[in-house]
Amino acid sequence: MSHFALTIIGRDRPGIVSEVTEILFRLGCNIADSSCSILGGQFAMLLIISHPEISTREDFGDAFAPLEESNLSVLLRVLRPGGEKRSEIGGELCMISVYGSDKPGIVYQVAKELGERQVNITDLNTKLIGSEQRPVYVMMIEAVLPAGVTVETLEQVMTRIKNEMQVDISVRPIDAVEL
Amino acid sequence: MAVRSILVYPDPILKQVCQPIEDIDAAVDALLQDLIDTMRDSGHSVGVAAPQIGVNRRAVVVDVSHSKFGRDNNHGLLTMVNPVILEQDGRKTFREGCMSVPDYTGNVTRAENILLQFTDRNSEERVLRCSGFEAVAIQHEIDHLDGLLFLDRVSSLKTDVFRRKNY
Repeated sequence: MSHFALTIIGRDRPGIVSEVTEILFRLGCNIADSSCSILGGQFAMLLIISHPEISTREDFGDAFAPLEESNLSVLLRVLRPGGEKRSEIGGELCMISVYGSDKPGIVYQVAKELGERQVNITDLNTKLIGSEQRPVYVMMIEAVLPAGVTVETLEQVMTRIKNEMQVDISVRPIDAVEL
Repeated sequence: MAVRSILVYPDPILKQVCQPIEDIDAAVDALLQDLIDTMRDSGHSVGVAAPQIGVNRRAVVVDVSHSKFGRDNNHGLLTMVNPVILEQDGRKTFREGCMSVPDYTGNVTRAENILLQFTDRNSEERVLRCSGFEAVAIQHEIDHLDGLLFLDRVSSLKTDVFRRKNY
């Protein structure tokens, strides 16, 4: 079974999910993991889909043309075999909140420090809030810490960025429990 | 005494309402022991409910004393038949997972304090006040007796903080 990454984005309005999923249903595609949300005024859909027979992009023909005609952008990528499976990421889960007056480089500075320490970002959301005169940037990160990196280590690193960039940052463990 | 395998959704028994237990007879005693053995065997589990091992009866075991969240506030091993929550207050949110729903977790808000009634393994009626993680674990296990999974209780998406407020 071949897997594909499908990305769809366009001006938000009611009915986008139904149009997209009707096409997928009629093609006989399975939707595996997906995440869809409003970003700004745009609705963005990220889906991993599969099909028992279709194995190339060309096989989809012009199935997504109606979406493009309704001003949605569609991007389809074929995954390499196994690309649909997540790698096992163990380790402590933590949440990082970063917020402050908007300035260039907030995401990069934080992500750079995390990347250098092999901290795996599993979810990242940012949002611009506040007024146009005083915009406030908010970023929430969920990440998995590798062995040897603790929440305390991360707090120290983030304190440095906090001072350098004049933003507020907090790091805390996520209480994930299997019951 | 036996370690039983944990059933995973979509096993239909996980969505059934379990039957009350009338007498703590030998079969019930063996069931309670199996629940304890199964919980202990998993290494990290803090509770197992009878339907998770395929038995449609109202029995659960909980022990949070080895968990970092419950270590300082617990009643040790609780072996409960026909458990009922009499009172509840407060709210506490955990990112819950469940052995019967592998590979998925969700934020669930439950009561922080509960007044709990149950029959113990020696047929004694017990009433206990529990709080914190122990209270959360008990509520999760009692939900299993009513055919409810944490998926029925998820209170927010991970990206909760960005849900737009409308007012």
